[in-house]
Amino acid sequence: MEGDASRSQLVAALARVAGGDRAALQIVYRDTSAKLFGVCLRILNDKNEAEEVLQEVYLTVWRKASSFDPARASPITWLVAIARNRSIDRLRAALGGRRMEPIEAAAEVGDPSPAAVDLVEAAQESTRLDLCLEQLEARQAMAIRSAFLDGNTYEELALRMRVPLGTMKSWIRRGLMKLRDCLER
Amino acid sequence: MTDDRNKLQSEGEKLAAAEYVLGVLGAVERRQVERRLVHDQAFAAEVSFWEERLGPLADAVASVAPPDRTWRRIARALRLPAGARPRENLWRSLPFWRSFAIGSAALAALSIGALTFIEISPPHATLMATLAVSSGQPGFVASVAPGGTSMLIMPAALLAPDQRAMELWLIPAGDKPHSLGLIAPGRPVRVEVPRDLAGRVTADAALAVSMEPPGGSPTGQPTGPVIASGKLVSL
Repeated sequence: MEGDASRSQLVAALARVAGGDRAALQIVYRDTSAKLFGVCLRILNDKNEAEEVLQEVYLTVWRKASSFDPARASPITWLVAIARNRSIDRLRAALGGRRMEPIEAAAEVGDPSPAAVDLVEAAQESTRLDLCLEQLEARQAMAIRSAFLDGNTYEELALRMRVPLGTMKSWIRRGLMKLRDCLER
Repeated sequence: MTDDRNKLQSEGEKLAAAEYVLGVLGAVERRQVERRLVHDQAFAAEVSFWEERLGPLADAVASVAPPDRTWRRIARALRLPAGARPRENLWRSLPFWRSFAIGSAALAALSIGALTFIEISPPHATLMATLAVSSGQPGFVASVAPGGTSMLIMPAALLAPDQRAMELWLIPAGDKPHSLGLIAPGRPVRVEVPRDLAGRVTADAALAVSMEPPGGSPTGQPTGPVIASGKLVSL
């Protein structure tokens, strides 16, 4: 399968990066930078910021590749987690410039089609998550998707979906616990 | 992994891991979670669980090719300083570094990574310190230049940037802490030691890192939690 092949190539490249092989980092970059740049851009909504964070992401990958454990995580998930964490930290550190349109508007802008190329995430993971999200109330599922994709805090989500903060917290927390039970099954 | 995760007792702990991965926490809460990740395996496993399960949500994000210059900048940042000296120093120091508690592979990668980020060649080490975090794992490695006039502080664990600053302290035996200035969580920093303190950077002194307001401690003494500390040892 193509997805499996690219996954194992990526695992091998990360192992070489852990050993200090700069050429291997370039392979990782070539195969994943468009995906990760998309992730950073979605959260930061600013090309320059996203570009700076993307640089930090690959410098982090360079330093941390040895902590990647292919038995515990898929390589693309590991990379996406680094890109999201870096982007969210940058967002939290910035005082202004937050994207605060209502969620309905953001949903139209969002790209609903899955990433066309590169590293196809294991299809059943995605299907399982979709099934579990479908079992939540629509607004809970929407809040969880928005939080993940845009990196919003509870406060920002409450403003964007025009509900009190307490309501937003309870939607997401109950949603997460329900999701956890479903994903474990 | 499942066994690890089952050790997490409270719903609140499970929720904190999920909230962290989802990205709804503020900066201060994120730092709390990350500090915990360093030493709490069950909690780290719970975070991995969520990263793996929620990861597919990122499929909905369109790939966007970054500008060509981005890779050039990364490549530039990774280039070793010209000349063979830093590399020699690096390899000479490896056996010593291996004696620390992190896996040697991780450490080798870390040291290569660390040394590629600095433009100066690492000073010949006579005094060093491993600053352990609460779990006992190294948080920083300090290497003192001859004469105690400066030291290189290298992060040995990934500590994400915080709103607060990290301040380095020299604690001579039987004395109060003296500030050596601010350090960075994600990259090696060369710290100049004030002239009146250089003579006190000795094998019986200790180094510590505390969390402080941006700009550093307002009082001249540590005001926030000490996140890492260790004694200087002579090689």
